[in-house]
Amino acid sequence: MAKGRPFLEIFTYALDEDYRFPLLEIFAFLFALGTFVFADFALYGQTGEAQAYSLVSTLCGFPLLFIFVILILKNVAYGLGSDLDTGVMQTLFSYPLKRRHILTAKLLSGLGIALLLLLGIQIFGLFLLAPDVILKYPGTVFLTYAANLCSPALLLAGLMLLLTLRLKRGGLALAMGFVLFFGGLVISGLVSFIAYGAGSTLVLKIWAVINPNSALQAYYYHMGAAGFASETWGPSFSEVLLYLGAGYLIVAAIFVAGYIYFQRRLEI
Amino acid sequence: MRWITLVGRIGTVILAIGLALLVAWLIPSGSSSWSGVSQPVEPEQYMISELGVYSPQTAFRISVESSDNVRVYLVGVSPDELNDWIALLRETYPNFFETVSNFYTVPLIFFHEAYPEQTSPYLGDPQTESRIWDVAVLDKGLQTHPEIILWGPPPSSSFSHELFPADVLHIWVIVANPSDGTVAVDTKVWDLTTLAPKERVIRPAILFISIGIALAIPWLILRKLKKGTF
Repeated sequence: MAKGRPFLEIFTYALDEDYRFPLLEIFAFLFALGTFVFADFALYGQTGEAQAYSLVSTLCGFPLLFIFVILILKNVAYGLGSDLDTGVMQTLFSYPLKRRHILTAKLLSGLGIALLLLLGIQIFGLFLLAPDVILKYPGTVFLTYAANLCSPALLLAGLMLLLTLRLKRGGLALAMGFVLFFGGLVISGLVSFIAYGAGSTLVLKIWAVINPNSALQAYYYHMGAAGFASETWGPSFSEVLLYLGAGYLIVAAIFVAGYIYFQRRLEI
Repeated sequence: MRWITLVGRIGTVILAIGLALLVAWLIPSGSSSWSGVSQPVEPEQYMISELGVYSPQTAFRISVESSDNVRVYLVGVSPDELNDWIALLRETYPNFFETVSNFYTVPLIFFHEAYPEQTSPYLGDPQTESRIWDVAVLDKGLQTHPEIILWGPPPSSSFSHELFPADVLHIWVIVANPSDGTVAVDTKVWDLTTLAPKERVIRPAILFISIGIALAIPWLILRKLKKGTF
């Protein structure tokens, strides 16, 4: 049997499980309508790239990002956890495939399709809404999505993967995922206060490694949204790219750890 | 069976996106406020009025009525370009541009294009004033910056238009009187708030709904048959 066929079998099984009808359709509807509802054009004070960043950031803000995080946490933590808990994973291991390919098929469905759905719909919606922003500043749009998705979405997905594999229970991992998500939001707010109080940029820089969007935000606004750090920290563009690279390295390291655990340590 | 399911689910997702676009189209635009200007325009002169800053979600409807045929233009300048123009005018007309309001930015850019050698226009001088508002200056300016024209219908005495810009833009309305007599011009502007520009959303909505239904039907029939069998 060709290698691709069992991979496809597992991928379609994962798709069926992750997106039971009409779950995928409801998320697609919400993402599409949400793009128009939550898009916010800053009419004054910002121009060019900063304005494009601000527009895309409103779409990566709390309601839509939260919907997206719910979707990927459900797929990664609950979906994978259920397979481990109910013994489905044992059946999947009987396929003539390496374990890492089984995990890839599961993540492609749970994470890849969700990402494709979010980015495809939002960028298309933005193109309908403000074609000039997409056509003039494609680099800014790409960078803003990359920074916003790195943390919390992909970072949480990686942590949930590790946690689910370790606990072998989806429900508990899912609950911890939500705790981490809200914890991240609280820390994000605290960091600005700490930086302002201490008069040091160090805490902002450390946080920017975990959450590169804060560096990008500081670059475009000089942290003007929070109002505190404009005097303390304004990274250069190359620094922003470095923070973004570091953020993705952390995410990649967590996923690699998950793969290694799944391949070598997971006992079923 | 797997292919029919896959294509069917792609169809239902496309249908869901189409329905979301349709909902965005169906939500009516709100008209929040209106403003009006009545002004005579001298022969072979033009007038300009700043409408404000608009975005794809905050648009406007404009109506222009005049006693004779006039030319009407809606021009839009991005905040970046406007800043560049202001910087250019400060450099070109030092000590002068600071004394006039931003209202003069577009007319002075047109004036600069038409009379690049003129270093300092004196607005108190009727001759200079007349040259700034000359239709020939407007034509030269629009020829040099055709990209700023958002709407430019043929000459008439009655105009009405709804505009949803594709980006955040500072927008002006220009009324040019090419005739030999003075023309009375009455301009009214209504600000509109909308979820999405209707004309840009309805076509994709119809397309997506049609494609979605076409792709989903075989899967939905098969699903119903399968449920009926068991």
